[in-house]
Amino acid sequence: MTSTLTRRAWLSLAAIAVWRPWPARAQGHLANLAPEEPIAETMKRLFGGRPIKDGASLIAIDMPLIAEDGASVPIAVEVKSPMTPENHVKAIYILAEKNPRPLNVKIGLTPAAGQASVATNLRLADSGPVRVVAETGDGALWSATRDVRVTVAGCAA
Amino acid sequence: MADVGTVKLAVPGSARRGGVARVRALVIHPQERVERQGGRSVDRNYRFVNRVVVTYLGREIAVIEPSTAVSENPTFTIPFRATEAGQLKVTFFDSHGVKFEGTAEIKVT
Repeated sequence: MTSTLTRRAWLSLAAIAVWRPWPARAQGHLANLAPEEPIAETMKRLFGGRPIKDGASLIAIDMPLIAEDGASVPIAVEVKSPMTPENHVKAIYILAEKNPRPLNVKIGLTPAAGQASVATNLRLADSGPVRVVAETGDGALWSATRDVRVTVAGCAA
Repeated sequence: MADVGTVKLAVPGSARRGGVARVRALVIHPQERVERQGGRSVDRNYRFVNRVVVTYLGREIAVIEPSTAVSENPTFTIPFRATEAGQLKVTFFDSHGVKFEGTAEIKVT
């Protein structure tokens, strides 16, 4: 019995010696990622209760109707804006409603961009709407969506 | 993925002064996605690009915050107003604290 206790004591000492706090650079852990949640929760977390206006006439989303490979789906977003310091698009959020972590990317822009037109490739977990939210310099929010059918899921997380 | 960290920038050969040009920036990077086991996410230090900064003539044009739901070898097209000749720089930062940088000289006519 004594030996068991000693062994246990040794093990716990070893555990303390090995344990170190996470390095400051380890940003890839789940705790640092957005939580898995439905899109409504993400919208609440990002924008609180701020009103979101229908931006269908302002925001053009260029995406394929049918994405063969969900691992890489091209998207181009253009928001009509003069991009002056007084009136510009401050950020473009791209969210996939069917992804476990809906926020794909946030693109922050400055007036020096001259135009609010960006493009990238997304991972989409399933067929469903892709939502774009544009935030202007004065804090107003505009949103538009586009339905995409995904043939092979991108296992986006 | 032998060339992880290679940054490629595509810019127009020359840009009209005061006009809007675009840069297409790409980094060779695994952009790891969250793994699942038995329906639960596995916790480890995933390696993905989580911040991209675009500057032109030393001024910030765009700051991008990608998640794991951006494709492998992340690529972004960003506009900028070509006011004068100078350097455009794109810096990718990943979640393991590694930085990848690419620059391009912008010619203005």
